Amino acid sequence: MTLPIFAQMAVSGAFMGLVYALIAYGFQLTYATSKSINFGQGELVMVSAFFSLTLLNLGVPYWAMIPCGLVFGAAMGLVIERTAVRLALEQKSEGWILLSIIGGLFLFSTAENIWGRDDHPFPTPMSTDPIHVLGVDVTRNEIAVAVGVFAIMGLIELFKRRTLLGKAFEAVSADRDAAELMGISATRTVMLSYGLSGAVAAVAGILVSPITTVGPTMASALILKAFSVAVVAGLDSGFGVVVIGMMLGILESLSSFQLGSGWREAPGLVLLILALALRPTGVFGKTAIRKV
Amino acid sequence: MKRILFSTLLMGAVVLQADGTVKIALTGPFTGGSAPMGASMRDGATLAIAEINATGGIQVGNQKMKIQTIERDDEAKNERGALIAQELAAMGDLSGVIGTVNTGVCLSGDKHFQAKGITKIICPAAGSASMTQWSKAGVKDVSIFRFAAHDGIQSAMVIEAAINRNFTKVAVVFDSTNYGVSGRDDMLDQIRKQGNKLQVVAQEKFNIGDKDMTAQLLRAKSAGAQAILIWGIGPELAAVANGMAKLGMNAPLIGGWTLSMSNFIDNAGKNGNGTLMPQTFIEEPFTAKAKSFIEGYHKTFKVERIPSPVSAAQGYDAVYLFAAAVRQAQSTDTHKIKEALENLKEPVKGVIATWVHPFSSWDPADEQTHEAFRREQTVMGMVKDGRVIFANAADKDRLIKAALGATAKAPTKAPAKSKKS
Repeated sequence: MTLPIFAQMAVSGAFMGLVYALIAYGFQLTYATSKSINFGQGELVMVSAFFSLTLLNLGVPYWAMIPCGLVFGAAMGLVIERTAVRLALEQKSEGWILLSIIGGLFLFSTAENIWGRDDHPFPTPMSTDPIHVLGVDVTRNEIAVAVGVFAIMGLIELFKRRTLLGKAFEAVSADRDAAELMGISATRTVMLSYGLSGAVAAVAGILVSPITTVGPTMASALILKAFSVAVVAGLDSGFGVVVIGMMLGILESLSSFQLGSGWREAPGLVLLILALALRPTGVFGKTAIRKV
Repeated sequence: MKRILFSTLLMGAVVLQADGTVKIALTGPFTGGSAPMGASMRDGATLAIAEINATGGIQVGNQKMKIQTIERDDEAKNERGALIAQELAAMGDLSGVIGTVNTGVCLSGDKHFQAKGITKIICPAAGSASMTQWSKAGVKDVSIFRFAAHDGIQSAMVIEAAINRNFTKVAVVFDSTNYGVSGRDDMLDQIRKQGNKLQVVAQEKFNIGDKDMTAQLLRAKSAGAQAILIWGIGPELAAVANGMAKLGMNAPLIGGWTLSMSNFIDNAGKNGNGTLMPQTFIEEPFTAKAKSFIEGYHKTFKVERIPSPVSAAQGYDAVYLFAAAVRQAQSTDTHKIKEALENLKEPVKGVIATWVHPFSSWDPADEQTHEAFRREQTVMGMVKDGRVIFANAADKDRLIKAALGATAKAPTKAPAKSKKS
């Protein structure tokens, strides 16, 4: 493999990896506060993308559509929290696993019934012509993915560190019971985390749709990889998902070039197994000491 | 929604008089990535059926029989196709089946029709294997016909187009389905038959649902491919066209007729311009018949563009051929209809051509006996700004003549095979 080809494959893979990272970040947000994960996160990405596409088709300008899409995603996140997660958490059961999967299936069927099973193109105001940077071709959509991923993750991290509500978020993540004793409502904080996670899903949907097209099954391949990224990086690793996500993306595209496209998924799975065997809490995860 | 309502109304109207009807099943993928083909085929067929029923039906004996349809969505899935075929084959009073878009579905389902001797017209699945499976097995009598330009014709045209443009190095790209793999085999076979003028510098595969084709395309690009010869279905073809634009590849995309599907054209946008593919029908009012067909379709199904014009036109003509066979057989018995189809006495005026003796008695050594299309009914189409147009003006004139019946002759014993080389 010559250097320019290597660079091209690595760059293309890295951009895709950033999308995995963003979805993985959505897993992290809810895991931090409630130790629960929305297994319907992929469907959240998909319905948000469909909703945004519908807005575009209704004539809403692209830049006005983005906040609407975000609000929709956040609202859907809150719906999942209320219907699938809260009751199970109150009863200290693991029912949220099944309930969030059911929530996802429900969203999937709803999307199929409203928008049909076909893939739809997602128009953006950006030109689709490639830009050449140091012998590597990138599209504006890919750059938008990178900018969007870092922007939303940066904003949320700033929010967590700089605002009172964000500090409450961190407090509940660190120790739920202690935070409640300090007068922080854990329930409200979990709601907040699901809302943020939904908004992150919407951003992922809006960013990835121009590349993958919008269809009911658009997220099914993404979500598995995002989950691997979240687990390999560690479910409380913060920006660690970005590193692992990009690594997985690069590994995938290099192996599909070198070994053939049939082997595309293999390295990610090997990585997952290795990570679980060597570092069960994730590469960037914190080993928590549990006092019983 | 309106479309579903329309067809239910239409069916409802016929169900009212279940006695003395001709029962035809329409099958295909009406949802999913292959839906533009399946739904257009169904709608084209429905249009023809509505026209026939509006005249009172098909004259059989001293009564006029209306056509009643049964629709089944196989979702382009082989296993669903097999189940549907079993279900339909078990119906005692079915006169015939028109449909199937996906070669894999033909391979998994058609054996059930063949076992019961039920007449089926495959439309518009093009993969060679759907007919050669019978000739290869040496089956004595076959009740399966095909009404689509099969991949043998199409691959010959694709290779011809590449050679005519003076390309010497090409990449062969295909999807991992039965259709894609058999398309690759046909293309490689044609390259040999046409004198090995093309060097295949890369053979690349992709899966249904793949969105990122960078790896495959970079391999083709770095091997120096001057053209991409491709066999696949709409959404993935679009991913390839978009990937090529991203990598700044100017090599033209030439491939199977599926490059005319609306989900290729829409998802590829301007990156699809210049793509070449064999077509049996172009959505242009080049004859009065074509004009009324296109307008009828647009009006009935409330669209400005037929999702897959080829499928719609083939579905339409297939129904007229079937109706002609029922009239000739003077029976709704599927076995008698099969015999009539093999020896149609009267020419059938369709929207693609005037069909003169399109099929003949099954010859186990030559599956062309049950293939309706020859090279002369097929033209090269080209994507331009969201539509498929004639790639060569001469083709248009030829189709006009064929539709008027001027050059239509009886293509009984396949000249197509020799013509390919």
